[in-house]
Amino acid sequence: MIVADQLYKSFKRQGSSRRKPETQQRIVAVNSVSFKAEDGCITGLLGPNGAGKSTTLRMLATLVKPEKGHATIDGNDVGTQVLQVRKHLGFMPHNAGIYPRLTARENIQYYARLCGLSRVQSQQRTGELVEQLAMQKFADRRATGFSQGQKTKVALARALVHRPQTVMLDEPTNGLDVMATRGLRDIIRRLAAEGHCILFSSHIMQEVAALCDHIAIISDGTVAMEDSLEGILQRTNQTDLEDAFVQATQLSNSGADE
Amino acid sequence: MSFFIIMLKEVIDNLRDKQTVFYALLFGPVLLPLLLGGSMVASFKQLSIDFDEVTTLSVVNADKAPTLMEFLYSNNIDVVAAPINVQGSLRAGVALVVLEITDDYAEALREGTPAQLTLHVNNASKDSAKAARRVNAILSLYEQTISNLRLQHRGIDPSIFDSLNIVQNDVSSEGANGQLLASILPFLFIMSMVMGGFYLAIDTTAGERERQSLEPLLSLPISRTQVVLGKYAATLCFVLLSTILTALSIFTLFKLFPVEIMGGQVRFDGATLTRAFLLASPLVFFISALLISVSAVTRSTKEAQTYLGLLMIFPMAPFFLLQFLNIRSTLVTMPMPMLSQYQLLESAVLGDVIPTLHIVLSVVGTLSATGLLLLLASRLYQREKLLD
Repeated sequence: MIVADQLYKSFKRQGSSRRKPETQQRIVAVNSVSFKAEDGCITGLLGPNGAGKSTTLRMLATLVKPEKGHATIDGNDVGTQVLQVRKHLGFMPHNAGIYPRLTARENIQYYARLCGLSRVQSQQRTGELVEQLAMQKFADRRATGFSQGQKTKVALARALVHRPQTVMLDEPTNGLDVMATRGLRDIIRRLAAEGHCILFSSHIMQEVAALCDHIAIISDGTVAMEDSLEGILQRTNQTDLEDAFVQATQLSNSGADE
Repeated sequence: MSFFIIMLKEVIDNLRDKQTVFYALLFGPVLLPLLLGGSMVASFKQLSIDFDEVTTLSVVNADKAPTLMEFLYSNNIDVVAAPINVQGSLRAGVALVVLEITDDYAEALREGTPAQLTLHVNNASKDSAKAARRVNAILSLYEQTISNLRLQHRGIDPSIFDSLNIVQNDVSSEGANGQLLASILPFLFIMSMVMGGFYLAIDTTAGERERQSLEPLLSLPISRTQVVLGKYAATLCFVLLSTILTALSIFTLFKLFPVEIMGGQVRFDGATLTRAFLLASPLVFFISALLISVSAVTRSTKEAQTYLGLLMIFPMAPFFLLQFLNIRSTLVTMPMPMLSQYQLLESAVLGDVIPTLHIVLSVVGTLSATGLLLLLASRLYQREKLLD
């Protein structure tokens, strides 16, 4: 389970002059992000490019520290219980980032070993994942020249290798064709059905509408609305998630202006 | 233990990369020693004359000077008949030098007037010039013998003509040429260390950032210090392997082409190379740390290659500095990484006695610098900017 409470993160503006005041030198990437992602549920983090999705996920993955606010993964604080959080969390960043000179199996085993599995255990676990994610055909090939779908599967397997309770996927369907996307959705649904907490970030409305039980709309570094799909449609008086999304972000903007 | 797993993976991963393997195992250890050492050995062979080696000399009118011919024979020179076209065969390189004895040679010698000998040389050819130096040296020895005999014949002590007796006493254990050859060894060692770890360091740090595989790696339940240590250990493996191979190839090179330089003072035998390797070994740690920390700052492999390319000046700097400036081994230079190893290895090759304090200072200085660099690399990996 993920609980985020008013997360805030800013970055130094690239090439900013020192004469400007401190506030103008920094870009606020995440202003106030609060949401909850339950176990056994697929939670979608929906927002346009640059809304702060990736930064939020990086804070939750303990890669960067939040400046303000708190967040917990399965009860462990991301700011202080770093190693505990990482043990409970499987994180797949928006680029597969697999090693091209290693085979798919070696890529997965490397992560398994780093997560503390013995050689035998890691081979066993990798075998399981190869079967679960239907990777038998390319498991023993080097990753150079893998299709995007194959790379994503390897990256997902790596994220799942230590049986994390919580799984975060940053735009996992980017660059996948229809069949690969469908395959990935099935896998994600299965994981949720097994009781995992899934956080799924995307800027594609249909994607989120088709997959997610719970949606947090993020815009300009702030969570504008958080509810189930039906709840969001009801609250915005719309029939389509895209219109609801526009409505929700406008509502939050006008609220901020007042 | 995580660092060990990272090390294993990086080593296997990079052994599959042709570029890394070429530079680590072929360029530094084999090609460089062959190019540098080989050309030096060849030039020394050309310059040094072996008077014990039996050679042949073409002589025109050999029958006119039987005593001289005997003298030549006793100096390991076999006399053969001269070719008909002397100039042509010299230019074509068929004969190296041709000695021509004039028809009135015997007569002039008898009458005590200067007897003429002509030595035909092709100075454009190094082999010909070398042969001429040898013949000249033997001829002047012969000339001195005859002069002495003539003087004694007339009742004059020949030593009266030796107004000065100049004795050059070279107190240095190293000649200029010997020192150049001696400085080649640290140069080859350090270059092969840098080349050995160069691409692996880039691939495991900047390459990992570029491939965007660093983000998932850092989100695993391991500390970033372990990650840095793993990459450092992998670089260390390659640098060490490259250095050992270099020592072996230098050993083989000088075994196949033995050179007797400066009366055998410059040594490249197994014991000397082992000693040199041990003296250089702290640099394996230092150079690996240097490579890792510099490439930790860079974002892409291209940027890393630029920075590390500039870094190549450092291993070369002491080589050139020591050629031009006569910096002596002192307690001040010993704690400096690279410079101290240059001086220590030179001394080892020249067979000088190295004070234990110098070795201790060199090891301590180099390892402390290594520690600082590793600390820096570890700090660089803690930055949030690492993921930009």
